[in-house]
Parts: sequence; structure tokens; C-alpha cells
Amino acid sequence: MAVSVRSWLANEAGKHFVLMLWLAANIWLFLDTYLLYSTGQQYHYLYQMLGLGLCISRASASVLNLNCSLVLLPMCRSLLTFIRGSHTMSTRRMRRLLNKSKSFHVACGVAICIFSAVHVSAHLMNVVNFSASFSEDFPALNLARYKGEDPKLIIFTTIPGVSGVLLVLILLLMFISSSQCIRVFNYEIFWYTHNLFIIFYIILMVHMVGGALKYQTNTEAHPPGCLRSSQSLQEPQADDLDQKQRCNEDAHFLPHYPQTWLWVSGPLCLYCVERLYRYIRSSHPVTIVTVIRHPCDVVELRMLKKNFRARPGQYILLNCPGVSSFENHPFTLTACPTENKETFGIHLRIVGDWTEHFAHLLLSQPRAALEILPVVHQRRYPTLYVDGPFGSPSEEVFNYDVSLCIAGGIGVTPFACVLDALIERWKSFRLQRLYFVWVCRELQSFYWFAELLCALHEKLWKENRPDYLNVKLYVTQDSLQSMSELRYRPLAARLQVGRPRWKLLFDEIGKSNKDKRVGVFCCGPKGISRTLHRLCNSVRSSGATFEFNKESFS
Amino acid sequence: MGKIEWAMWANEQALAAGLILLTGGIVGVAGQFRGWEFASYAIAAGFFVCLLEYPRSKRAKGTSVERTGQYCFTVCVKAFGPVTRNYYVRAFLHAALCVPGGFMLATVLGCVCLGIASLIYLAAAVRGEHWEPILPRKDTRKPVAESIKSPPQNPPPRPPPEIRRKQAKDVEGAAYDNPIAVTDD
Repeated sequence: MAVSVRSWLANEAGKHFVLMLWLAANIWLFLDTYLLYSTGQQYHYLYQMLGLGLCISRASASVLNLNCSLVLLPMCRSLLTFIRGSHTMSTRRMRRLLNKSKSFHVACGVAICIFSAVHVSAHLMNVVNFSASFSEDFPALNLARYKGEDPKLIIFTTIPGVSGVLLVLILLLMFISSSQCIRVFNYEIFWYTHNLFIIFYIILMVHMVGGALKYQTNTEAHPPGCLRSSQSLQEPQADDLDQKQRCNEDAHFLPHYPQTWLWVSGPLCLYCVERLYRYIRSSHPVTIVTVIRHPCDVVELRMLKKNFRARPGQYILLNCPGVSSFENHPFTLTACPTENKETFGIHLRIVGDWTEHFAHLLLSQPRAALEILPVVHQRRYPTLYVDGPFGSPSEEVFNYDVSLCIAGGIGVTPFACVLDALIERWKSFRLQRLYFVWVCRELQSFYWFAELLCALHEKLWKENRPDYLNVKLYVTQDSLQSMSELRYRPLAARLQVGRPRWKLLFDEIGKSNKDKRVGVFCCGPKGISRTLHRLCNSVRSSGATFEFNKESFS
Repeated sequence: MGKIEWAMWANEQALAAGLILLTGGIVGVAGQFRGWEFASYAIAAGFFVCLLEYPRSKRAKGTSVERTGQYCFTVCVKAFGPVTRNYYVRAFLHAALCVPGGFMLATVLGCVCLGIASLIYLAAAVRGEHWEPILPRKDTRKPVAESIKSPPQNPPPRPPPEIRRKQAKDVEGAAYDNPIAVTDD
């Protein structure tokens, strides 16, 4: 499929631009520091002793400073949610860039690992050179205590050496346990090792204490390379040389002050404040109002919390000490609190051991005596803490003229919240048309939101906007089935068996909405989102531009 | 804390440690540093650890994702039977392999990583985990019902002509019981 330039620019240009900007900053920093150390007068003698290793190690150190400060910023989720919500501060293009914050974090992390390897290798060369080219002329410059000192000894008896070894170990632990496999299957290992970052940063800030590398302070009085008057010259041109290279005094050296804290302390404080804010905000338990069981292992949970405000599409993190004290699990909100009702809800699918245990705690209530009590019987639900809400790409559904929402299975939850908001006030949004495609394996899954879909369909029909909502349901299991209830007839009429044919769907939507920007929102398995991404970028004769947004898990 | 599979983490750590050991060994030999014999040992040990750790184990519960092209490695590792199945053996093997790496600067990082991996394998072994090969599943398709293979030879039974005429005028009165049983397969 050929790529359409306009679509490609709409989908890929922003993030590639940011990537180029970041790469340029890194390259500039590397080259600038490299040239400083290789040509700077104050480093002349040090460069003579250490050679290339000095320049490469310092250049990679400044790149590391930049990346260690940048890597924390995409993880300040509450701050990003705030930026996403304030439409005055951000345009739609910027908000779409925020969707890629995790990728940026990963890019900075990978850069940290690569440049750490470069930095360590260069410093190993430096240590060997400190030992081999021990300087008798300038004893202040030396790190080794005597010529030919074992480099291992130098490393393990200086603060930069020991802190460097610890830093590398922590970085390796963090990097290895953040592989895709471990994040998907054993998230706790990833989370706990990644939280070692605080030790990493503390050690990083003391890494340069001790001043292994020194610069010359008196380059005017003692131009580097000048010869002392006591030394005899070979050539008989002493008079000429004397004028250019007269040494008034000996070279003085001073170590650098640690600079890393200048780079790193800002983002680190910001991140710590953010974590503290999230901890305080989630310290009050929520009240569980209702628990409803749905077919296909889905449980709906309705909760109440004071001062909880959320927008459709956002997600929350649940923590249930009765199941596990330290695990936080994300769930998209399926109902946001409004003026009419204060409760908010989630739909959770019972898949792993945490959800199984949690659902068991919610659903198995002791059966009281069956007589109707005059007092409301208090159900003993487990205590639950909610952190959030946090922003997600699906919040943008309302900011397009035409949106296409594609959901796979339980991925329908962000769009269910969108539909919920539309039922209350569909006229107040910019959205003029919504295409809703929901692909499920079993027919029973559609019953999770059948009521909501039919209610919205009926309301729009009554208000004379039947073309606002276009529902297409697909059930992929082979058996022929249909929804038999009378009240779900609108859905039964829009149900098809088999997988959707995306190209035809896109062509149809493109033709009906020529020259418009259609927001495509995908929340489902990777296969579907890859196909859709490709289709959004490909050439189309109809002329609508498709902007791709996807929800990512973990 | 939920069912954490320590073995998966140990496997990733050990594979990375093998690669680091290999790289460190190559650097040590190429630079001909002091103690380069340890570096040459590290190359061999790193290579061996990579081969041993490349095939992922099957998870006790849930879907397992295998690494690309790991099938031949799985077959080789499986051939050693209980030696490679048991994680205690792996823990002690890695602990023993990592020690010589600590004598040379270039390989010390690989040594420490392999040591950490050995500790995690010990934790996995204590919790009773063991290595299971991921073998391709032989999909047993549902046995196709006999009736599909042989299409019906005769057309479905039609009612006698009088009833057929009645059917055209009076649909309800033309209802009849099919003499031959029709099974819904």
C-alpha cells in the first residue's frame, strides 16, 4: 500500500520531529564537550596524559546528564494529565504527542544504557592511562598513587570508581528486567527493580565527588606547553621562544565541582512531588456502591469518592490491600461522575490471579437470612484505594468532527465511557459523527454495553440525528448466532459474523467524509492496531485524512 | 505477592550476563590486557551460557512467548533431561562459571551479572519451578462428523401431491410430520 504524504505527516511527523530534536541535542552536547576537552587550554596536560579516553568519557557524561534528566519527565503522569486537560495550554497536535511519552521514556532509557557503556569503556581506558602515564611533572593531576598501580585498585578505592560500579549494576538490573516479556508476565519484578531509580540518582549525584579529573586554573600565567626556564632547550632559539612561552608560574589544578545535580535535581524533585501527590490523593479509600456480574467473566464495579473528577477515556489504578498490598492495576473508567450522578464505574475482566481474587472478594458475600430487614444490610466489601484519574489518547474522541472508535473485546471500556458522556450531552461536543466498531469473540460479550448502545441509539433517533452514531458489531466465532431480545433489535440488525474488512470500512468512511480529519481510536490487540496504523497512512482516493491514536497497555 | 515466576527473570538476567561476559572476553583478548587468559575463558563461558539460556521455559500457567528461532535450542537443551530441567543445577552451574570472570577487569561485570542470575535461579528452584520445553502444539482438529463427508444421495422427502397443493393455499393446514428423522448436526 502506497503511503499518502498528508496522512503520513498527520500521523508520524510530530513524533519524528521530536525524535530529531532530541537526537540533535544529544549530538550537539557530545560534540561540544568532546571539542572542549580535546582543544581546551585548561585540559591540555590532562589530555596529554589520558588521550582520547578523556574526551569520549566526558562527552558521554554530558549526554548522560541530559538523558537522566529527561527520562523522568514523561513519567510524571499527573502533570501530563493536567496538560492534556487544559485546552488553553495545548493544541491537539501536542496532546497527540503526549501519547508517545512512554516511547520517549524508553528512548532516553536506551540512550542512557548505550552511553553508559561508552562512558565506562572510556573511563576504563582513562584508568589504565592514569596508571601507565603517571605524571612526574604535574603530580596534582594524577589519580594513581604511583606509576603502574593496578587499575582495579584505583577503581575500587576512589569514590567515582565505586559509585560507578554500583551505578552500572543498578542500571543493568533495571534494564534487564524491563524487557517486554517480564513487563507483560511479571509486572511486579519490573516495577520493583525500576523503583531502584532513586538509589541510582542518589549515587549519581555523588559520583563526581573526589574530583578525579582536574582542570588548569592559570592558563594565562602558565600557557600550556610552555617550558620552564630551568629546563634546557635543544635548539639555540631560546630567545624567540622565551617571549611566546614564558612560564610565570607553575600550573595549578582544581577538580571540577559535581555538575550532575544541576541537571537532575529539577526533574527528580518534580517526580518525587508527583509521587507524593498521587500518594496523598489515593490515601482515602473509596466506597463501593454496586457490584454487578456480567457474562464472559466481567464484573462491573461502581464506586464513590469525594472530589473525584474524571473525563471520558481516563483510567485509574486500583489497589486492594485485601488482595495484595503493593500491586496497582490500571482499569479504564466506563462511567465518569457527572452532575446527575456522582458514582464512577469500571468494568474489569477476570483474567489473572489478582482480578480473580478481587472478584471473589467482591462477589462472594455471606448470605444473610432471607427476610427483608428494615435497615439496609451492610455489605462487607474489601477496602479499595483509587489512584488517578490519568489521561489517555481516547480523551480526544470529542475533539474531532468525525471519529472512528475500534474496540476489541474488553477494549471497549474507554469508548463505553465516551458513549455514556454522549447520552447526557451529545450536543455540547465538537463531534458530529461517531463510527463505533466492536469486535468480540463471543456474542455474550456484547451484553456488557447493549443497554447503553441501544439507549444512545434511541435517544439520537428521537432527536432526529440518526446518522450521528454508526454501530458495527462483529462476532468472530464461527457459529451462527444473533441477539434474540426485542429491545436489542438495533444491535442485532448491525451484527455481522466474521472479522471486519478494514479497507472497505475505511473506504466507506473516507467517501462519506471527504476532506475531513477523521480521528481513529483503537483499543485492542496488537494485530488490529498495526493493520489500522498502516491503513491510516496509506493512499486513499476519497481524500479524508485519518489520524491514528491507540491505547497502549503496559 | 501473586504468582511471580522468578525463573523468567533469572533467564533474562542470565542471557544478558552471558552476552556481557562474551563481550568483555572479546575486549580482553583483543586488547591483550593483563590476564587475557581469563578473557578467553570468559568468551567460552559466555557463549555456553547464551546457548543454555536462549530457549525460554514454558510458563506454568498462561501463554508462553518463545524467542525467535529457539526451537533447535529447545531440542538440544531438552536432550540433557533432568540436568537442564532442574534450576538448582543451573544456579550452582552459573555460580561456578562466574567466578573466574572476577579476576579480570573486562569480565568482572559479566561475573557479577551471572552471580545475580544464579541467585535468582536459586530462588526459583526453592519455589519449586522447573524448566519445561516449549514444543509446537499438534492441533487436533475436532473430528468432522460423518454426515459431512458423504453428501446426501437423495433429495429430502416431499409430501404427496395433495398436500403440496394444499401448501400453496393454506400454509398452516399443510403442516405435516416428516416421516424420516432429520438430525441437526
